[in-house]
Amino acid sequence: MKITKKVIKKLINAAFNSHEDEIGCGKCFDKLNKFAELELKGKSAAEAMPLVEDHLKRCGECREEYEALLEALRAVQG
Amino acid sequence: MLNWFKRRRKDDSSYETNEEWIRGLSAPADEKAVEQLRDKLIRGLKPALHKYVDRELDQFVEDVAQDALLKILDNIDTFRGESKLTTWAMKIAVREGLTELRRKKYDDSSIEDFKYPNDEGRDELTSLTFATELPDPEEATHEQMILRKVLRIINEELTEKQRRAMKALMMQGLSATVVAEQMGTNRNALYKLVHDARLKIKNQLELEGVDPAKLFNN
Ligand SMILES: [Zn+2]
Repeated sequence: MKITKKVIKKLINAAFNSHEDEIGCGKCFDKLNKFAELELKGKSAAEAMPLVEDHLKRCGECREEYEALLEALRAVQG
Repeated sequence: MLNWFKRRRKDDSSYETNEEWIRGLSAPADEKAVEQLRDKLIRGLKPALHKYVDRELDQFVEDVAQDALLKILDNIDTFRGESKLTTWAMKIAVREGLTELRRKKYDDSSIEDFKYPNDEGRDELTSLTFATELPDPEEATHEQMILRKVLRIINEELTEKQRRAMKALMMQGLSATVVAEQMGTNRNALYKLVHDARLKIKNQLELEGVDPAKLFNN
């Protein structure tokens, strides 16, 4: 397997952007319903729950679930 | 007054408040509450999942709603009231659907590599080579040095499990849900495993005086 510059760059970036206080997927999921409602009410969810926002930026699958949740909630809201 | 509401509820099946929903979904659950929630989940799941499902969206969404309903009814006592109950329920349904899609995608794919992970691992990471063509030899040398440091940390400071996880997630770009299942763990534990690995690499690179600002800025 050849490791490309892109991969190593990604890895080093991910390493240097790491923080002690990151939350995991479990805690993010626990708070996702509240986070999504704040967002839909036009309040700053990111400001109110920065660790959730941080996790969503780092974790592709949680972000995908969050975006799908917003889509679903918008559809049933009207 | 309270009795009047209770009686009225039986005729008027529209659940609105969290209190009403919790009462309706707690065992023994009211069939009307379950049906109303199922309807809502299906109406939400369709637009949320349509871009991931290429055929038989209706059937898929109905199955997901059914599986999610069982989870919701089982866990209704863990709902902490931090949102509308229906938002909480939708969250469970959306995750159910996406998890199922990730599994399916993996089953349909031909990623043999990760299915037999014990054949490789340490050896392969040791032999990784860095494909780069840089015009400036000095810069190239600097990058090679950083790469060697990173590879040394990966191979010597991380655990076998951490290496396996990072390779699958960051180099092969596999789904975390699938990797977690293959490794006999869950996504949360996998995240923590990789988080610890990232911190270790960061701390070690800092110890060795590597400045991230000067890295690969072209
Ligand atoms: Zn996550």
